Amino acid sequence: MPTSTSNPGSSEKPGFFRHTFSTDHKVIGRQYFFLSLAAVLAGAWLSLLMRIHLVWPKAAIPFLGEIKPENYLAYLTMHGTLMVFFVLSTVPQSGFGTFFLPLQLGAPKMAFPRLTAAGFWIAFVSFLVLIATFFVPGGASGAGWTQYPPLSALASAGPGQALGTDLWLVSIGLFCVASLLSAIGFVITTIRYRAPGMTWMRMPLTCWAWFVTAILILLAFSILLVALTMLMLDRHAGTNFFIPGGLLVSGKSIEHSGGSALLWQHLFWFFGHPEVYIAILPAMGITSHLLAVFARKPVFGYKAMVGATLAIGALGFMVWGHHMFTSGMNPYAGFAFSTLTTAIAVPSAIKTFNWVATLYGGKIRYATPLLFSAGFVSLFITGGLTGPILAQPALDTYLHDTYFVVAHFHLIMAMAGLFAIFSATYFWFPKMFGRMMNERLGRLHFWITLFGAYATFMPMHLLGIAGHPRRYSDLTGVQYVAAMAPLQKFITVAAIVTISGQIIFMVNLFWSMRRGPAADANPWECTTLEWALPSPAPEEGFGVQRPQVSHGPYEYNVTGAEKDFVMQDAPAS
Amino acid sequence: MPIIGDRVEIERKPKLGGGGPGKIPHRRGYGGGDDGDHGGSGDFRSREQRMRRYRIGMMLCIISVTAIFVLLTMVYVFRMGKGRYDEDAHRWIHDWVPLHLPYLQLWLNSLLLLLSSTTLELARRSMARKEEFAAMGIVPPRMKRDMPWLGITVLLGCFFLAGQILVWNSLRHQGVFLDSSPSRSLFYILTGTHAVHLVGGLLVLLYAVAGRLMAIRFESQRIAVEVTGWYWHYLAFLWFGIFALVHFARG
Repeated sequence: MPTSTSNPGSSEKPGFFRHTFSTDHKVIGRQYFFLSLAAVLAGAWLSLLMRIHLVWPKAAIPFLGEIKPENYLAYLTMHGTLMVFFVLSTVPQSGFGTFFLPLQLGAPKMAFPRLTAAGFWIAFVSFLVLIATFFVPGGASGAGWTQYPPLSALASAGPGQALGTDLWLVSIGLFCVASLLSAIGFVITTIRYRAPGMTWMRMPLTCWAWFVTAILILLAFSILLVALTMLMLDRHAGTNFFIPGGLLVSGKSIEHSGGSALLWQHLFWFFGHPEVYIAILPAMGITSHLLAVFARKPVFGYKAMVGATLAIGALGFMVWGHHMFTSGMNPYAGFAFSTLTTAIAVPSAIKTFNWVATLYGGKIRYATPLLFSAGFVSLFITGGLTGPILAQPALDTYLHDTYFVVAHFHLIMAMAGLFAIFSATYFWFPKMFGRMMNERLGRLHFWITLFGAYATFMPMHLLGIAGHPRRYSDLTGVQYVAAMAPLQKFITVAAIVTISGQIIFMVNLFWSMRRGPAADANPWECTTLEWALPSPAPEEGFGVQRPQVSHGPYEYNVTGAEKDFVMQDAPAS
Repeated sequence: MPIIGDRVEIERKPKLGGGGPGKIPHRRGYGGGDDGDHGGSGDFRSREQRMRRYRIGMMLCIISVTAIFVLLTMVYVFRMGKGRYDEDAHRWIHDWVPLHLPYLQLWLNSLLLLLSSTTLELARRSMARKEEFAAMGIVPPRMKRDMPWLGITVLLGCFFLAGQILVWNSLRHQGVFLDSSPSRSLFYILTGTHAVHLVGGLLVLLYAVAGRLMAIRFESQRIAVEVTGWYWHYLAFLWFGIFALVHFARG
């Protein structure tokens, strides 16, 4: 198949066009990385605006002026959409996954490379459409990243609910297609393209995570696509799936009737909960991998890790109802969802235990990737402990839509996911760009981010317990909330400091890309196959000579070996 | 393989495994890369592998499509069974309007789809027979008994789509539109989604048919027909599922 952009033999550089629209998985992986970098900057900027508005509602922002309530809702929606779709489900899976899955498996390339490339470019267009919603009449959608109807289904419901929401739906629809296309490549690469000797149980845990996540994407995103289509039909074709009767918008009654707003919640969360695991499973895989590398020990309980990954993937499809405990669902259904949700704590606890056990007694090398991976474990535990609390319908009835929930998912999903992304960036940077990142700046970045993350999100638990609702742009007149203003101020300051701390990361990233010290082929002394290649990974990958794998992925501290690690493709002893 | 000769070289499989902690012994075969079959013509292997890749890809598509239709079926069943919540009376009201379907046309369409599935299977088999010639680098000959099964399949597929449009038309003449009531909306969405998927299959078949005119490799043609075959049979199966749903769950 003439799909690779240049022959391994030819030394001429591909032209701009061929390089940009390359089918090389390494180019596409880097493209995803930069796409998400743009998205995370936009998302962080929006969160900054929101935090400032919450504390100083009358403050005039340069160029934007005073933030109006509808603007606040638009920022909230776009912050969630950008972060969930274009950051958390893009970098760990599509970014690092596209780059490193074939390399770690010893594959010559991604299966169906043109499909993978198409996936990226559709995601790119989807990102542009999403950003464009800020500039259409009425501005961006304000219905939240969950787009609950009737707010999202009626164009008259708000300024951003007309064209802004239409484009939001188009954008996420495109994103679904993009994710599906790239997921197909992931699954086939894993099944068919493993190097000789790379048995399932010799795959690094990152590959396991990418594989399971790709299967989740195949099921979840096709469902979201249907739900989005139905919502679009409700908006433009006059169907009534999601719009109940008897609605009044600005004093005028709406002619729709007979739909069920709850139906959307079911459909959305049937996608939405697996989506949470689409975001976090690759992060878990990366963490498992890095902890073993930097503790110089085999992963504790490799098989249990694989089993837990599969179990989380399967259970993820059975728990969507826990997002809807307060929707008046049958208490028996609530009980079932609650039980299943609590059951996810079991594989999660297996993973957490194994991470800690991997570190225990290891000769730990305190490099930046290890710090961020340990930070992931810390944040995962902190955020995870509030999970079983929210899984109880009785407790959730009180805590639903308060800052407690905001604290929970930001710690376990957003911050933990981000820490895994950071650790992966510091870890794989040499293989992606051929240079090392600065360790000292990396450590500074880590400590600022760790303390900043905790300072921002821990107090939110207290706000939530005290009953502070989320998603309100301004609650200055409400007496019981006024008492929490100092804490809100503290959170805003913490958020500003944390986000400013990311400048260190950006500087480190772009400076190291140009000026960092050149990296060896295997600077971290890892066993997996991507480190058998020179840094940066050459375009032809392994070329014609496929590696012969005869070792497991985590052979560190092997007795009798020359060094303290054995590469996967080292000759069998 | 020549058996006569003074030295018969038996290809030894390379030894795998080794000592050390954290060792995971491999169970069977080798990794995914080589399908467990060492040796053999490299060309044959790569062609077989390509076919397998596409087959797995098709399985994944089918899984994804199944998720879509399971979801729509669930929406259909729940909407029918539960009705809507009346905000004034504070209770659930059954407002499901039973469908009056043009059964004659629907049965005719089902027959067309079934026929197209059969002809596609015949096309797939005739291509599989010609595979050997292609493997030897010979342009596959036209066989005497060969019918242009592929072209017939495309025609039948188009007839099915036209038939579906007739069904929708006759519903329109009854005054049944997409936005009439949930049962009607869901009927249109179920059949419409099915038709959209069928169009996708039709496009791939058209590519394979055009392959006879344009210089598309036989191998690519065969893969297209093979995986579309699976898809097509699956869509036929799905069609009967939808038909059964709208027939038996009329409300």
